[in-house]
Formats: sequence, structure tokens, C-alpha cells
Amino acid sequence: MATANHPAAPKLSTGVQPLRAAKGSSFLWRKLHSLLGIIPIGAFLVEHLLSNFEALKGPAAYAAQVKFLNSLPLVRVLEWTFIFLPIAYHAIYGLYIWFRGKSNIVYYPWAGNWMYLAQRWTGLVAFLYIGYHVATQRFLGVSLPENPGASFHKVQAELSNPVILAFYVIAMIAICWHFAYGIWLFAAKWGITPGVKSRKRFGYLCAAFGLALAIMGLAGIWAFVSPQYKNAPENVQVTTLVEPGR
Amino acid sequence: MATKTVTLEIKRQASPDSPAVWEKFELEWRPGMNVISAMMEIAANPVTVDGRETTPISYDSNCLEEICGSCAMRINGKARMACSALVDNLEQPIKVEPLSKFPLVRDLQVDRSVLFENLKAVQAWVPIDGTYDLGPGPRVFPAQQEVSYPLSNCISCTCCMEVCPQFNEATGFVGAATIAQVKLFNNHPTGRVLAEERLRALAGDGGVQECGFAQNCVEVCPKQIPLTDAISDISRDVLFQKAKDLIRS
Repeated sequence: MATANHPAAPKLSTGVQPLRAAKGSSFLWRKLHSLLGIIPIGAFLVEHLLSNFEALKGPAAYAAQVKFLNSLPLVRVLEWTFIFLPIAYHAIYGLYIWFRGKSNIVYYPWAGNWMYLAQRWTGLVAFLYIGYHVATQRFLGVSLPENPGASFHKVQAELSNPVILAFYVIAMIAICWHFAYGIWLFAAKWGITPGVKSRKRFGYLCAAFGLALAIMGLAGIWAFVSPQYKNAPENVQVTTLVEPGR
Repeated sequence: MATKTVTLEIKRQASPDSPAVWEKFELEWRPGMNVISAMMEIAANPVTVDGRETTPISYDSNCLEEICGSCAMRINGKARMACSALVDNLEQPIKVEPLSKFPLVRDLQVDRSVLFENLKAVQAWVPIDGTYDLGPGPRVFPAQQEVSYPLSNCISCTCCMEVCPQFNEATGFVGAATIAQVKLFNNHPTGRVLAEERLRALAGDGGVQECGFAQNCVEVCPKQIPLTDAISDISRDVLFQKAKDLIRS
């Protein structure tokens, strides 16, 4: 009755081919892509925006936060294993997913279909932005891990260009959107929200979370362009405990 | 008195390799007319609006009451059952095209074998064949019946696959219908015997993981089958099955 092996489906002459039952490894790669988006990438995003929030307290507080993060044990290993490599994989596999899908929003302009498309475009914006951001802020110019005191000025100098500032703002919104809907998709596709109502309720929760995250992120950007810390010094003294406003 | 008319524009293609052409037809309006009945009238008098004689339109249809799943086609761009597409509810001229994701046979006729192959690949049946009488099956409680009945309504029309952005030649995605049938048979007290194999099958290339959750399937389904719920449930079951297989191997 029950057979251990799946007989191979006959190949159809044209068109979409049948399921390759129990064959191949795409399940693993797709689930890995999905999981990495939440942990560690999403978790890192939250950490990054929380750290940015320190900038509202001024250059010294921001420098202290940068110094703290760079003083974590095995920080370079953490950086590569939990930030760079997962993001690179998530981005490249994400593009691969995009190129294999065929959007049909013209014929079926439904909410879920719009979100499907938005998830791809926001992902692309995120990919381009992160590539640029990591190159300019992490690898080019003053090296911040060695000179945490220079961090506020370095970001401020970059954001003084209005085009780059606009890019940062757009990317911030796109990334928070991508993450918030990504959480919703994760819950739906890992069977955490298998009911229509549960998906709807969780959708509101994800929207609120995404909005809060975006507002927090934009507030972090504001710290660098606000008149309060205009012309921040190129380097500040870093102490671990800083009173607000310095 | 001028008679009320109905205009249809139908995409014709004599064979899989011949070029596609649009033909326009004008018919006398009748109460309760639908796209299939309109095409039946064209068959009775296959003359285009500019008076040119043509061939009757080739299409699949059978029950004419949205229960057999044969007459799925694109009407004004959207995949749906032609028999339940009432002319009075459609914008004119009514544009009728074959489904776009399946190999074309002729005119509006397409080859949807891929769904049948997919259902076979996941063993979407209750295995009861044997050399002796197996006796009555186990009782299915009403709560379970409530879950299973909507899934059993699938008419294999393939609309869910047609509208899915992930169902294409690049992904080879199995489509929502097959995943919902896995849920149906995995919840059946006798069908459950093949549950693990069905889940493993769905973890293959083109399996449940290819779903992008655009949710077009559940929007378009003429039988209102909770397809996204099924995809979510089965995704979790597949994941647990793969995890179990991993630690027990």
C-alpha cells in the first residue's frame, strides 16, 4: 500500500513541470533564507536602530555606544557570522526568488499581491542601501572600530549631502517595511498563524511594530541632521558612561 | 426596436504552434446569458462581427454549474469559470483568453495535466486497496468534517495556479490546490497512513516552500477553499517532518 519511494512523475512535454516529490534541497535553502531574515538579520536591525537612538543624546553618547559594540568579545567574528554573511545570503537568495517569480499585479491588483511585490522592491532598496552603507561607513574612510570617537562626525558628514540623506530616509522606511512584513510572512509560512483571523490580527501587530521601528530609525537619522549637534567635532573623547547632551 | 447585443472578443489559436488571433463576435442578448452559453451560440452560427465565417470555438466545459472545474479561462483578464461568468456582470466587449500558464491545445483549451501529476506525486488519495475487506473506516468527528469539507470542494480548475506569481516554469511550484489536498488527506483517519510521505514529497523542489504568500489563490478560488490556511498548516507540518527526519536519520 504505502510505498517508500516516490515514483518519478512523467515529464510533461511543455509548460510547468510537476512537483519533484521529495527531491532536491530548495526547501532547506528557502527556509534558511526565511529564518535568517528574522534571526539574526532582523534582530540586528533592531539592535542597530536602538544604537542609533543613542545619537539623540549627542556625539559622546553615540561614540560610547560604538565603543561598547566594538568591545564585544570576538566582535569581528560576530560581525561576519551574524551580520555580513547572513545579509549577503538573504540578499542574493532573495534576488534569486524575485527573478523566478512573475508578478501579475496588473491583472490581480489585490492587497496580498501588492505586498508580494512591495516585499521584492523594498528588499532591493535594502540591498542597494546596505551595500552602500557598509562600504562607506564600515570599510571606507576613518575606521570606526578603532576610532569610535569619530563615528558621529563621520555619519554627519555623509548625511550633509541631501541626496544621501534622502537615500537614507527612503531606505529606512523600505527596510522597516520589509522587516515588518517579513515577520508577518514568516508567521504565515511557518504555520504560526494558520488562520485568517490570526493573520489579520498579527498583521496589525506587525504594522504597528514596523511603524514604531521606522519612527525610531528616522529619529536616529534626525539626531545627525538636527541643529542641536551641528558641526560635531571630528573626534570626541570616549568614556563608557556619558551624561546626556555632551 | 433595436435589439440589445453582447460583444465578445475571443483569442483564437488553431494549434499550439499557430499564431494567436483575436476574433470579435456580436450576439443577441438573452436573459441569464453566460460566457459558455454565448460560445454555444457562436458554435451554432460561427460568423464574426465583420461577417466572416469562422470555426466554432474550442473550449473545455461540462457541468455548466461551477462544479466540474473544466471551463476555467481568462475573462476580461481574470481567471475564472466561464459558466458562472454572467454576461450581465461583465464589462463589454468581453475579452476571453485561454489560461496562460498551461500548454495550449486549441483556442481556449489548455492541457492541465500538471495538476493531475502533482496530485499523484503527493498521493492525494485514501489507500484502501487490499486482498480482503478492510471493514468500515474509522469515524470522522463533526469538528473534523467541518475542516475537511471545504477542502474536498476542490474542482481542480487550476485557477489558483494560474493566478499564482510563483507558479511558473522557473519554480515548478506545485500550487495551492495540491497543498490543500495534502491537508485533506492527511487529516483523513485512513488517508493519514501516507501523511509522512506526502509531507516529504511537498518538501521537494517546487514544494510548499515556493509559496510567496501573495494570496491570489484564495482570492480567486471559485469554491472559496481556505487555501492560504492550508498552505500555512502544511508548511508547518512539512517543516516538522523534515526536522524529525533530520534528527532520526
